[in-house]
Amino acid sequence: MGKLYDELSKDIEIKHSMYACMDCGTCTALCAAAEFYDYSPREVMDIVQSRDDEKIKELISSNKIWYCGQCLSCKQRCPRGNNPGGVILALRRLSEKTGLFAESEKGRQQLIAKRLFGDNMLKRGYTLLATNPIPSHFPELGEDWEYYHEHIKEMREWWGVPMDLENSPGCHRMVPEKDMEELRAIYKATGAVDLMNKVEEGMAKKLGGKEEVEKFWQSYQDNVDSRLYKIKEKK
Amino acid sequence: MANVTIIGGGVAGMAAAGVLTKRGHEVTLMERDSKLGGHVGKWYKVFPDITDASEIVDELKGDLNGVKIKTNADVKEIEKSGKKFKVNGTSADAVLIAAGFEPFDATLKEEYGYGIYDNVVTSLELDEMLKTGKLKTKDGKTPKSVGLVHCVGSRDEKVNNNYCSRVCCTNVIKSGIEIKEHYPGTDVFCFYMDVRAYGRGYEELYRKSQEECGVTFIRSRLSEANENADKTLLLRVEDTLAGKPMKINVDLLVLMVGMCPSVNAGSLKNSIGLETGDDRFFKTKNKHSANNESNIPGVFYAGATTGPKSIVESITDGRAAAAEIHSYLS
Repeated sequence: MGKLYDELSKDIEIKHSMYACMDCGTCTALCAAAEFYDYSPREVMDIVQSRDDEKIKELISSNKIWYCGQCLSCKQRCPRGNNPGGVILALRRLSEKTGLFAESEKGRQQLIAKRLFGDNMLKRGYTLLATNPIPSHFPELGEDWEYYHEHIKEMREWWGVPMDLENSPGCHRMVPEKDMEELRAIYKATGAVDLMNKVEEGMAKKLGGKEEVEKFWQSYQDNVDSRLYKIKEKK
Repeated sequence: MANVTIIGGGVAGMAAAGVLTKRGHEVTLMERDSKLGGHVGKWYKVFPDITDASEIVDELKGDLNGVKIKTNADVKEIEKSGKKFKVNGTSADAVLIAAGFEPFDATLKEEYGYGIYDNVVTSLELDEMLKTGKLKTKDGKTPKSVGLVHCVGSRDEKVNNNYCSRVCCTNVIKSGIEIKEHYPGTDVFCFYMDVRAYGRGYEELYRKSQEECGVTFIRSRLSEANENADKTLLLRVEDTLAGKPMKINVDLLVLMVGMCPSVNAGSLKNSIGLETGDDRFFKTKNKHSANNESNIPGVFYAGATTGPKSIVESITDGRAAAAEIHSYLS
């Protein structure tokens, strides 16, 4: 046991998700992420259960905790009532709090998440605007999406949801300022704002300053590949 | 001479009846089925020596001279007045509950596909197939591969059965040996978490299944089964020793169902205020030194009514209960 484990065990998600794992592998057997990545919810449970700070540090500094897609199939099947997906959430929070998220490529993508739907939430109360998913960032959406993106204005006119960021239905509706204040208060009280700030701070620390964070962000905007920004080795 | 009524004509009840009648008591044995023997009476071969289950039942029956046997006697409640009891109209000075167990209802594990897919059966149906010499898939072919799934309805919070059913592991081993001996060309895969082969001769049987019969054990727990177009089953497990998720096809999937309390346990309990544990089996007065006594003087337990037991344990437990009852009545 050590400081990281102690910090982790304070997380309410751990209290609700972590009982005793008997290593049966039911979770990993049907985990969608485990099928494609070097990832195993059972391994995650095993490491947390070991209470070994060295192992926990290695885990939250790695890509692994970011592979989970939060489908929570593991929770549905675990014969011991564990929720590996919930444990992952707690590990992600710890990774952001400690700045260790910036040590892994998938972890550094938290900056993108923070600046895209994190900031959207705090500004407008919605995760994504219609213009956010640009085709070059989502090739899997295919030609139809490209067509939509090119003709977004006229197509949304047809549907009666005009491209009016000030006032149109769905994700462009304006949330009343009074409700926005409540939402921001919730984000602050639950620690989400702190975590967002930790992401900016952690990235600046890892990349060597705020300017470098902007370069990273721009590189991602241009290339859609967070690996293309080269981190300078510290002297 | 005292009257003793035994509820349940399985191996525990029969064993107790045999001892009590020899000790000179008036014993009434009540069985809900049309014949004695309980679950064991329906089975084919049993571990550890792969003997005929019918031989065990026949031997226990041989001790029942003088016992009043009432079949088709489903007992749902016990009446009590003073120190006397009444069971289905028969008065008794002591009652032995040997109500046994019910096999776990495999349809509750929907993700395994029992009752949905053609070639998913329970361990009871496998036993019947082996007994009749017809190990077949639904379309009548001998399976080239069989999957045996441990812990179905056991050690599983999702079905509210946190306990281990104890006998399923060794039943898997025995079934694997039987399949390989009769159908050498069939591959047998066992999906286990731990092999709990705890009794005398069980570990040796485990070893035999691997060394002599070539039964394959994969450390895993079945996550789900899906039916392929050809009616074979695609299983998703993690080989936890390799640490890798895997998919495997089998022609026939056998679910080794665990033990649940008798359907009558609840009403028997409520009728005179007996106690059950978190596992819903009857709770004994002391788990070590009074494991046949209930919270009510004169009411005793034997066999799987107090939790999953093997055949030998049930028989021994029945005889132990008989000794307790004899002391109580003397």
